[in-house]
Amino acid sequence: MARRIGFFICECGPNIGENVDIDAVLNAVEDMDDVVLAARFGLMCSGPGKDFLKANIKTEKLTHLVVAACSPKQHELTFMEVCEDSGINPFLFQLTNIREQVAWVTKDKEEATEKTIRLAKAAIRRVRYHDPLSKTALAVNADVLVIGGGVAGMAAALRLASPERRVHLVERSSSLGGRVVAQGPIYPTMASGGEMATAMVDLVEGNDWIVVHRYSEVSVVVGFFGNFEVVVTGELEDGGTLETKVNVGAGVVATGAEVLEGKPLEDLGHGSIDGVVSSAELEAMLADGSIGGKGGKAPKSVAFVQCVGRDEVGYCSEICCMNSAKQARLLLEAAKGAKVHILYRDLCVPGRDQQAFLEGAVKAGANLVRTTSVEVGGSKGGITVSHSLGDGKAEKLMVDMVVLSPAMVPPTGTEGMAEMLNVELDPSGFLLEAHAKLEPMAAGIDGIYLAGSASGPRSVSDSIVQAEACAGRVLSSLIPGRTIEPEIRVSHILETLCTGCQTCLEVCCYGAIVYDPMKNVSHINAAICRGCGNCVAACPSNAISLYHFTYKQLYQEIVEAIR
Amino acid sequence: MDENNGHDDVLVIGAGMAGIEASLRLALAGRHVHLVEESPCFGGSVIRFEDIYPNMDCATCMIAPLQQDLLQNASIDLLTLSRVEKVSGNAGKFKVRVKKKASYVSAETCIGCGMCFEACPVSLDNDFEEGMAQRKAIYVPAAGALPNVPSIDTDNCLRFKGEECNACIEACMFEAIVMDDKDEVLDLDVAAILVATGYGLMDLKPMKRFGYGKVPDVLSSVAFARLYASNGPTEGELKLRSGDAPSSVAVVQCVGREETGYCSAVCCLNSLKFAHYVDHKLPDAAVHVLHTDMCVPGKTHQRFRDKMVEHGADLVFATDVKVGKGSPGVKIAYKDGAGKAAELKVDMVVLAPAFVPSEGSKELADILGVPLDGTGFFAQGGNGGGPVSTAKEGIYVAGCATGPKGISQVVMEADMAVAAILTGTDGGVS
Amino acid sequence: MTSSDAKADSQGFRPRVVGFLCNWCSYAGADLAGTSRLDVPAAISPIRVMCSSRVDPVLIMTALMRGADGVLVTGCHPGDCHYDKGNYFARRRFALTDQILTSLGLEPERVRLSWVSASEGPRYAEVVNEFIEEIRELGPNPMRTNRSL
Repeated sequence: MARRIGFFICECGPNIGENVDIDAVLNAVEDMDDVVLAARFGLMCSGPGKDFLKANIKTEKLTHLVVAACSPKQHELTFMEVCEDSGINPFLFQLTNIREQVAWVTKDKEEATEKTIRLAKAAIRRVRYHDPLSKTALAVNADVLVIGGGVAGMAAALRLASPERRVHLVERSSSLGGRVVAQGPIYPTMASGGEMATAMVDLVEGNDWIVVHRYSEVSVVVGFFGNFEVVVTGELEDGGTLETKVNVGAGVVATGAEVLEGKPLEDLGHGSIDGVVSSAELEAMLADGSIGGKGGKAPKSVAFVQCVGRDEVGYCSEICCMNSAKQARLLLEAAKGAKVHILYRDLCVPGRDQQAFLEGAVKAGANLVRTTSVEVGGSKGGITVSHSLGDGKAEKLMVDMVVLSPAMVPPTGTEGMAEMLNVELDPSGFLLEAHAKLEPMAAGIDGIYLAGSASGPRSVSDSIVQAEACAGRVLSSLIPGRTIEPEIRVSHILETLCTGCQTCLEVCCYGAIVYDPMKNVSHINAAICRGCGNCVAACPSNAISLYHFTYKQLYQEIVEAIR
Repeated sequence: MDENNGHDDVLVIGAGMAGIEASLRLALAGRHVHLVEESPCFGGSVIRFEDIYPNMDCATCMIAPLQQDLLQNASIDLLTLSRVEKVSGNAGKFKVRVKKKASYVSAETCIGCGMCFEACPVSLDNDFEEGMAQRKAIYVPAAGALPNVPSIDTDNCLRFKGEECNACIEACMFEAIVMDDKDEVLDLDVAAILVATGYGLMDLKPMKRFGYGKVPDVLSSVAFARLYASNGPTEGELKLRSGDAPSSVAVVQCVGREETGYCSAVCCLNSLKFAHYVDHKLPDAAVHVLHTDMCVPGKTHQRFRDKMVEHGADLVFATDVKVGKGSPGVKIAYKDGAGKAAELKVDMVVLAPAFVPSEGSKELADILGVPLDGTGFFAQGGNGGGPVSTAKEGIYVAGCATGPKGISQVVMEADMAVAAILTGTDGGVS
Repeated sequence: MTSSDAKADSQGFRPRVVGFLCNWCSYAGADLAGTSRLDVPAAISPIRVMCSSRVDPVLIMTALMRGADGVLVTGCHPGDCHYDKGNYFARRRFALTDQILTSLGLEPERVRLSWVSASEGPRYAEVVNEFIEEIRELGPNPMRTNRSL
């Protein structure tokens, strides 16, 4: 069918009308190939303006539409809807911005008119090469995979599981609950962490819609948001393995963090000096009664040493100050009259309640000491803690217990996890978020979410907030029975031109491209591609094209733009 | 719209980061959202900043796509210049009365060309720019603010003072000025309510020791952020009142921490960002950051601090800070790490005030029937619910309405609230 | 600075410059220059692309071969890319563009990559003004013989 292009210029009242010679523009474009109508209107985005477009599309049997008006950020959708209402594919349309980028920035009317003509012609030449594009609706699987059975994983699973949505919860160890199961009171509420985690375990186990895979790890994840295929590999009692295939629409990674071990702690006497313990060891001692309990020890003087390993890892682990404040409070309850010093560099107590909690520890008797460096040595009468004060002077403390607050680090296996999921790692080795601010709960791959300390050190309560945020994202976008509509303007590979060099795989930030070794060509998954066009530019054999931004379309635009 | 007579509509109060995030997610899930915002534009505190730490993301670029979605989303009723006046009922069936102030400009016909403010004869200090720029009586707060529809400030418009003035009416070619516009009262039925009213900043004036309002070139953090903003009063030029570029800048941390009793969580990083601003625009200028505890929690922020130190930022441990006139410039007296008196002379001082509850929190809490906590922020987790729940079922709270926090935490709470609203339970584990 | 640049100067030179603007940051920045009524030289013809990484040496060379006196590519600031890292790829590819230009005997200054964010209306105006000024100094593209197809 022959092309019948309609060109419409919006006066936008005086905004374009006064700065651009509209008639000159109409004259310049009306004889262009395929242009059957060139017309003006006072305000094209208004009701009468849209009716004007629709009427002309009908009477002139237009097949393509070009509108010269404001920024596409303002009214591209408005005019695409007009196209749709009039039976024209909305992609056989081009809006050229002659308000923000011509009339409003060009004082000289002659120049503005000339530029408008260039842009109008560019749009008309371009639209001739547009292809009709349409939305695709993809059916989704609403089930969710949760990796890691700690409080974050359990919180996500509990929020998501429903009769319409099964959750597969994969836990490496024999039991759910993670780190928190072993914890006593947690700040700031001082409710029992262990009791909370145990209650969550009961809820998970009693939930018909959560399938718990114990002694299991996820070994394969392929696919995309809405349609992932997962292999869960479980360890059997006889030492063998069992592979279970599950299909899910999204995944939540809740693999937690570990506590730093080794040199930074050893340098401070851990493992060599009696009475030097890590904060986790103290937590266990407080929980099992070996401090303060019947027959338990009651240290008379304790020094907490903060920021152990902070310089080595290069970040502040966020939760240690609060954790020491809590442990100091517990110690002072368990060992009445003890002297407790907290040796810190910067007190990290961000937020509404934290400082008050810390002050509670001070009120209970804890002594806060700002220091720049700490050394720990064994001696007959106890442990010597030498540290330098703010004025450069050194001070020595004699204590019978030292508690080291080590940094939180990514758990072993994080690299493998990242590789399997095609998720990146940050410089600290944690899983990297899609956007540190706007999508702190999502990985860079659509449909993969991050909960708890997997993406950085987090307190129990913040871990749960993040897990619930993952659930919020899933609940709002992956809805049972509904389809999803992926981006329309995506890249595609022409197999006949593809040499299978895989350069495109390297540049794609979304893992949207896969290589098919059988055919020696690469293939772009339209459901994953976001349409940036990076691969188009990278392809050395010109085999990739981005819909709506094809070389041909841009070429036509360039040629007129510089005339 | 309103397929089920509002039975699962949601009211979101506050169109800052938390409110925008929650509204978009709820709309995506198929809910109809009434987003009530007191000011004439949405975007909250974030849109006042040029860049966001630690990666110096451009704030406008970051939230522009969200704003675009918000404007074009048919499931979201964006009610600017509006406030909640009355709430009754219970979870699942709240009745809400919203008062929408007349803007005197028709959003349907206005195309945002700005001819009206050019014509308006009234000029006054623009609050959005901390008074460092002027605006008209018909105005949008800043170039690029959305929605790009002006409103008339009736306190200052000549017509509303009984004078004869038709300047904007005559300037508008679209007949978009509607002088007989009336305040509207909307009665809404909603299933759930989300409070996302954000924070305010501590009033600097009563804290006389910091010299704010008395000593020239002592700025609030917001004013400094606007100076740096390319859509701000100086188009991004950092300059003193004299018009010269400062050769030294000091950022003072923890302003008001003693009074509030808490650490506002984001000021250290925000101040390091200011050090970056100075380094970026005035590489030869000295930057001092006066801090007590340098609070840089999380996996990326210490690297940011280290980078700023590499770039020459001078981090100074300082207590008992007093700011006064120097001759010339500004003099800062403080106690150093050893407790000794010390002094610093600079051209410009930027104060980082504590976060405080946003204005009107008390009134809103009373209307909603939910409690505030001792600090005046909305209390969290009543009924054994999680941090986004309040004492009243069906009423949730997210973001800085419950206390100071960074953008990422704000977004996560918004999504947590979405999870709670969509599943219809408080959930959460205290 | 004024925007009289689209008109011929005393030597009869009317610069023609193609500006590839990324949709998310720079295009919005250019729009803001408009909303703020700044002066942007009419010599630039903006072409919207989704990301600066779409602009390959082929497109740039096409513009130059067809007679553009300069090509300006603008994208999000490093770290701001809507597509994560697209602008870094764009920057990397510029090394190649430079080489091609030099081997063809064209001044590498005819092609410029700049970062413009959505809030930088004034910066957009400034970048374009500066670039057009530079192109004006370089004079017409020596390859400009026939602009029509």
